[in-house]
Amino acid sequence: MKKFISFALAAALMTSVLSGCAKTKSQVEGNGSNGAASSKNQAASQTNKPEDIRLLAQSSNEKDMNIMRDQLTKAGFNVIINMQPDYSSFKTAVESGQYDLALSGWTTVTGNPDYAVRSIYHSLGSYNNSPIKDEKVDELIDKAAGETPAQYEKTYTDLENYMITENAYLVPIYSSPRIHGVNNKVVDPATVKNAKSRSFPWEQISYVDASLNATRPLIMTQTGNVLTSLDPIQANDGSVNALSTNMHIRLVNLTSEDDITAEGSLSYNYAIGEGNDNFYFILKDNAYFSKVENGKAVNTGVRVGADDVVFTFERAMDKDSVPDHRTYSLYESITKVEVVNDVNVLNETKDSDTGKPIIEILSKGLPGEVKELVEDKTLVNNAEGKYQVVKISTKRPFPQVLNYLAHQSAGIVSKEQISKINANFNKATFDPTKDVAYGNFSVLKGGKNDLWFSGPYALISVDDYNVKFQKNPGYLTGSEFEPKIEHITYKFIKDSTGAVSAFRSGEIDVLPFVDETGVEVLSSNSNFTVETRTSNGVAYAEFNMREGSKFTDKDLRLAVLYAINQNDYIAVHKNLKSPCYSTISTLIDTGNVHKQDLAKSAEHLAAYQAKSK
Amino acid sequence: MASQQHDKDFYIKKVNSRKLGGSIEFTTIRLAKQVNFVVSILFLLNCYDLFEKKFSLLSAIGFCVMFAEYLVTAFVSSKIVKDVTGEDNSLSSSTRKLGYLLIPFMFLGNILMTISGFMIVKKGKTIEYQLSIYSFISTFSIIAVSCINLFKPYVSDTFFLGMGLYGAYTLINLATIVMAGKYTSAKKPDKKFLAFAVLGILGIALGNLFSFLMGIIAIRKYTNKNEDINIEWIDVVKRLFKNYMSVIGMLVVTFLISVSIASTLTFDYSIAIDNNYSALLLPPCLEYPFGTDEFGRCVFTRIVFGARISLLVGLVATIIPIIIGGLLGAVAGYYGGKKDNVIMRVLDVLYAVPGILLAIAIIAAFGANTLNLIIALSIGNIPSYARTVRATVMGISGQEFVEAAKACGAKNGTIILKHIIPNSLAPVIVRATMGIGGAVLSTSSLSFLGIGVEPHIPEWGNILKAGSAYLETNPYIAIFPGLAIITIVLAFNYFGDGLRDSLDPKLK
Repeated sequence: MKKFISFALAAALMTSVLSGCAKTKSQVEGNGSNGAASSKNQAASQTNKPEDIRLLAQSSNEKDMNIMRDQLTKAGFNVIINMQPDYSSFKTAVESGQYDLALSGWTTVTGNPDYAVRSIYHSLGSYNNSPIKDEKVDELIDKAAGETPAQYEKTYTDLENYMITENAYLVPIYSSPRIHGVNNKVVDPATVKNAKSRSFPWEQISYVDASLNATRPLIMTQTGNVLTSLDPIQANDGSVNALSTNMHIRLVNLTSEDDITAEGSLSYNYAIGEGNDNFYFILKDNAYFSKVENGKAVNTGVRVGADDVVFTFERAMDKDSVPDHRTYSLYESITKVEVVNDVNVLNETKDSDTGKPIIEILSKGLPGEVKELVEDKTLVNNAEGKYQVVKISTKRPFPQVLNYLAHQSAGIVSKEQISKINANFNKATFDPTKDVAYGNFSVLKGGKNDLWFSGPYALISVDDYNVKFQKNPGYLTGSEFEPKIEHITYKFIKDSTGAVSAFRSGEIDVLPFVDETGVEVLSSNSNFTVETRTSNGVAYAEFNMREGSKFTDKDLRLAVLYAINQNDYIAVHKNLKSPCYSTISTLIDTGNVHKQDLAKSAEHLAAYQAKSK
Repeated sequence: MASQQHDKDFYIKKVNSRKLGGSIEFTTIRLAKQVNFVVSILFLLNCYDLFEKKFSLLSAIGFCVMFAEYLVTAFVSSKIVKDVTGEDNSLSSSTRKLGYLLIPFMFLGNILMTISGFMIVKKGKTIEYQLSIYSFISTFSIIAVSCINLFKPYVSDTFFLGMGLYGAYTLINLATIVMAGKYTSAKKPDKKFLAFAVLGILGIALGNLFSFLMGIIAIRKYTNKNEDINIEWIDVVKRLFKNYMSVIGMLVVTFLISVSIASTLTFDYSIAIDNNYSALLLPPCLEYPFGTDEFGRCVFTRIVFGARISLLVGLVATIIPIIIGGLLGAVAGYYGGKKDNVIMRVLDVLYAVPGILLAIAIIAAFGANTLNLIIALSIGNIPSYARTVRATVMGISGQEFVEAAKACGAKNGTIILKHIIPNSLAPVIVRATMGIGGAVLSTSSLSFLGIGVEPHIPEWGNILKAGSAYLETNPYIAIFPGLAIITIVLAFNYFGDGLRDSLDPKLK
């Protein structure tokens, strides 16, 4: 018995010695010395029961999802995670509506603010998944669209204030830089352009040893191996953007700094007519469609002409031109696209900037003087002075339309081929299980390639592992924009770590997107050129605001918004990201800064819970 | 003449090595000596960084300590060798006293020396005495591991309660060792020891398999009416404890189970799952012994909590297929003919599907959570257990005692449950111990593929996956969970090996 007592005493002694030298969790939090912990207590004390929230994300966003889960949990939410392996299953989950908050992102690939808002916030926007249905938002977007840059700055600031500060329609997380890696022992890094918005043009890429251009396939990579659609107007997401940009030619292009240029486009020059509501493009005669025959790209001998341009935009504008049209909202401002037949029109129309006849602007650097405008593209011969000019009119003065014409969905497609393929079904009774529209990915994957390509590269074949391209033999031949490398292969590598490993082992020549650990690892190796620049990519979270969802409530949304601390995301991403307030932040300095405020978050959460009782 | 001398030397050598192999004092001190040597060499190699041309003081101190420990063990070991191979084949009392020198080394973390010390000091060690030592070591290790939490800015609210409980239990364990040394024998234990036996059984609540086993053995021995008849399963345990490596395996398993239980009190779960953005990717230090991951979570705490899921899934995903597979196998083996054919052919179909593929398919269909993970891993294992049991049952059902039961008019169900299953358990138990390691590995593999438990929940495969992205920049995030997985699989394998040997009637 004595032994027991002495043991008990010894145990008690040990415990008391221990407790002298350490603090317990509640002691530390009770002191209030730790700011986060005390406000957490506050948040917890004000809420009755954690509010359920279903968080949806792709596995590539796992880090952001984890931080958001952590922050929302600390703010009194009960987070239920739903992680989808890739974009297509993520999209399906979004469509099914079984979520409250989805991690998403938007890159303003056209570099103009209208694009940064229209598709995702406007009630008619094709990527407005929430959906945000607010007349005031629509009104502000439409108002800003007709304004000059000096004027629209205020309108977009108003829009941002209304959407985020007042209504918390979405939760901004961060804006990303654009980082790419080039194996400089193989590929000449100067030929790989890291642009702010657009996907980089493949036709300029060249090997260090130029003699390899004709034989060695260039290997690049992307994550998504399900391409939404190869019809440019049916898709506008990461799975096709880079590919579609290089499979189609456009009326104009963007420079690396987001300025409009005719370089490398179908036009020699473009001009804006007086009044800023009509736009003229004079077309080149050396761009031909290519198609795939026996696994090789061949020239169809069909020129990319004005009728194709008209066809392209008429179907782009028309919501019902194809089933699953995803980009019509970009072209809502266009009223008419026509071929100009009369040279006099060009002499009479004045340029909006200089006041000179636009023929002067359009004639710069042409191979021959403009003698005649022809309607039939087979008769075109630039050297002999026979040209084609296309005029695009907008319903209001809207110079931003040029940015849309540089978008991948504005890639010129073949009137002949699409009309033929899409004649096989009736648009009104389209049945996706039976009918096949132009650009259908499954059919293409099955080996039936009906696509025609106006751009520098033709898609030869695609399977689960890679997609192969070959140079379009009829693309701007003889010019500096004739593609240099004959074959390009895009490998599908799902996770970014795997892509970095493949890049380091030399399996991949150009890595279009490098993640933050990749930057650290690659920068120290002189074989790799890693280029970082700001971009228009913004990560945000969008609410499910369908009817019946509890997130139609403003207080609940604000509670989430105030719970988010962007600095945490930036720290975890090794300080490579920057703060943002909305998708406009990267284009216009609105002066808005997002700040975490757990007290406000708790307040709004309590307000919601009081209401819902 | 020379060859005769040679033969004699050879013979003496063989006799000595057999004597030493049979001496538990020698096997324990030998392992301690070897481990000390290897670890001290590792420290020595770490002293000087060839690439950065820097001298590490910490490694130098580590080397000195470990080498000193090596010298101590080498000295004691040489004394034991001399005594054991000497005239009277047993340790002299002066050598036994050296054991006391070894015990305090547990405070430096060298439990192998402590075990050896306890083994040396006592002559005539009963199984209860040995079990008490391991029970003490495992409880002490938990306190030592929990103490690391003292370096954190704060400890969990129940930390001191937990430490008090475990501290008290360590002292009870220590007392049990002393009492076991005094009051137990190969036959009936003294009545005074019964209280400690009961306390030992209660130790199972803390996950202590050793004290539980010790208690059960003591009480069974006490209630044994005929002292001349040995109890079969106690003999098995005794044989098991002759195999030192399998005991070490069991010690590791017990330690991990106990830590999973103890962590509820002495570890703070929020440190494992709450992100801490001011401590991202820190290298190992006192506050974060295994460093922090990309979200600032303590990798050490995550691994401690990860043991819980890994072990739970590993154990349950082994027990379920044993029950289902065992029953199916028993029925198939006992009845034979059509029933056997139907059952085994269906199971053959299941066997043909690769286990991990089946698990992936099940999780893809029903979603990723712990329950589905267990079901997914269980189903794939059913056929192999069914086959094992069927083969054993077929052998047993032809034996006389089954015929006798049949002749007495026993029902088939009774025969299967009462006679056949108990007699065919041994191979299944061995298979299961080996299988748990595999199940832990499968759990981790699935988590590593991102289809196991949710990514923020600590699980070894998950932690390893998070670390794999930082292998070059912050390797410690992946190394420690990797070591944990290796350790547990090895522990179960060693334990299983020992169990097989001790259950094998041919090796009695």
